[in-house]
Amino acid sequence: MNPISQIVPVTDAEAAGLAQADAFAALADEITSTAPADARLQRTARPRQRHRVRRSVLVGVPVAACLAVAGLITTSLGTPGQRIGPVAVGPAKAQAAVLSVSRHGGYLDVIVRNPDADPKRYRAEFAKYHLNISLRLVPASPSIVGSVVYASYPARDASQIRPITALGKCFTGGGGNVCPVGVRVALRFRGAATLVFARAARPGERYESAGQATAPGEAMHGLRFVGKTVATVLAMLARRGVTVPQWRVQRTNGCLTVSRHTVPRSWYVYQAVPWAPGQVLLWASSTWPAGTCTPSAGQPVASPSPSPSGA
Amino acid sequence: MLSPPNVVTAERRRRFEELYAAHKVPLLGYTLRRTDNTDDAADALAETFLTAWRRLDQIPPGPQARLWLYGTARRVLANQRRGERRRLALADRLKAELAVSYRPQEQAGELADIAVALRKIPESDRELLALSAWEGLDAGQIATVLGCSRNAARIRLHRARRRFAAELSQCAAAPARYTNATNGVHP
Repeated sequence: MNPISQIVPVTDAEAAGLAQADAFAALADEITSTAPADARLQRTARPRQRHRVRRSVLVGVPVAACLAVAGLITTSLGTPGQRIGPVAVGPAKAQAAVLSVSRHGGYLDVIVRNPDADPKRYRAEFAKYHLNISLRLVPASPSIVGSVVYASYPARDASQIRPITALGKCFTGGGGNVCPVGVRVALRFRGAATLVFARAARPGERYESAGQATAPGEAMHGLRFVGKTVATVLAMLARRGVTVPQWRVQRTNGCLTVSRHTVPRSWYVYQAVPWAPGQVLLWASSTWPAGTCTPSAGQPVASPSPSPSGA
Repeated sequence: MLSPPNVVTAERRRRFEELYAAHKVPLLGYTLRRTDNTDDAADALAETFLTAWRRLDQIPPGPQARLWLYGTARRVLANQRRGERRRLALADRLKAELAVSYRPQEQAGELADIAVALRKIPESDRELLALSAWEGLDAGQIATVLGCSRNAARIRLHRARRRFAAELSQCAAAPARYTNATNGVHP
């Protein structure tokens, strides 16, 4: 027998039992709920740019995602032992009433004030300090509006970009309310960074980032729907004027989720994700409990032809 | 205002979920076997699949996908070892569970010698031998993970085995010398 085989620290079979399916699923949700902004680079890349593009993709690191069922601990961005709590922010400039960009010594604090900002004006602000920071605002469900949903920057510059968190500005997937509301960037930062903030969605606009469907401010705030039948949940939603454009159903062979426009009214609802103002996605199962796989919630997925209502 | 590529298509998510479901456990095994703590292993797993999510179009189909993921995880771990540790706010739940559930095998006696010998050979040799013994890959598959030719992988594997055997014979000849070296270090 190969002697090295005898000292395997952990086998795959053992690894499978080290974490619950939910923990694995939570990671998948966290990953797929990062805006694949870097995919844009891949898609538009010409072959001769391949090397540069690839590197761009590799350096991107999401540092905060306030999405879905992930239960992120956003304060993990801080150094061990560092206290990150409510922050006092300097007076916002008049022209920056929507997103505060203010200088504090050798740092620039970028904080969401009014998430309906036009990001163009901030590019000029960053350029003034020679900071190569790309900023985007994406439509998001109400409970996470105003928070940073995605940030990427070179790993070597991790010490130069820190999150600014505040209590109660959003509701994270894990039920917490310590939210990344901005970032503190060192003025000496010379890398390229991308920041994505969540803004309010316009009527009919689909969310790119979503919080928990039952969080305060969301369409299903306070509703106890898990394990109830499709008919019951649809009735609850109808009273609030909330519709279900699509359903998600897990295939029996594994954790694959497929889309459906309708499901039988006798099925059971076990998960919900905000989809657009007044609309939620629901996961349903023919049986209850609904198996071991946690559904992939995350941000809503595109669909070629969503239908306006559920079953 | 939003650029179309930022919309995550259902098809993209479905492909990722398939990939993740099929390979997450072997990849966790891979990262756990090569790190000294579970946080590093979970971070490496997260970053590997994050890369996969972004580069989904480049991942080969079928069993080759796992080799692609091993190769990616290997580069992620190499970056970790160089101190380029990413500050990932990912996998917190997985980290919490692994911290409680994972206790690596402790080696004693002859097995401790094997572990010591494995640690003493160069990292590139160690990875070749581990891919063969722990992931059960053949020379062709190792070549894919490492990005070299099958022939080169076969030759390097042969040399690595020779160096490991030489190291092991030294360890076995003088086990007492290595006692301290094994304290507190996972193989």
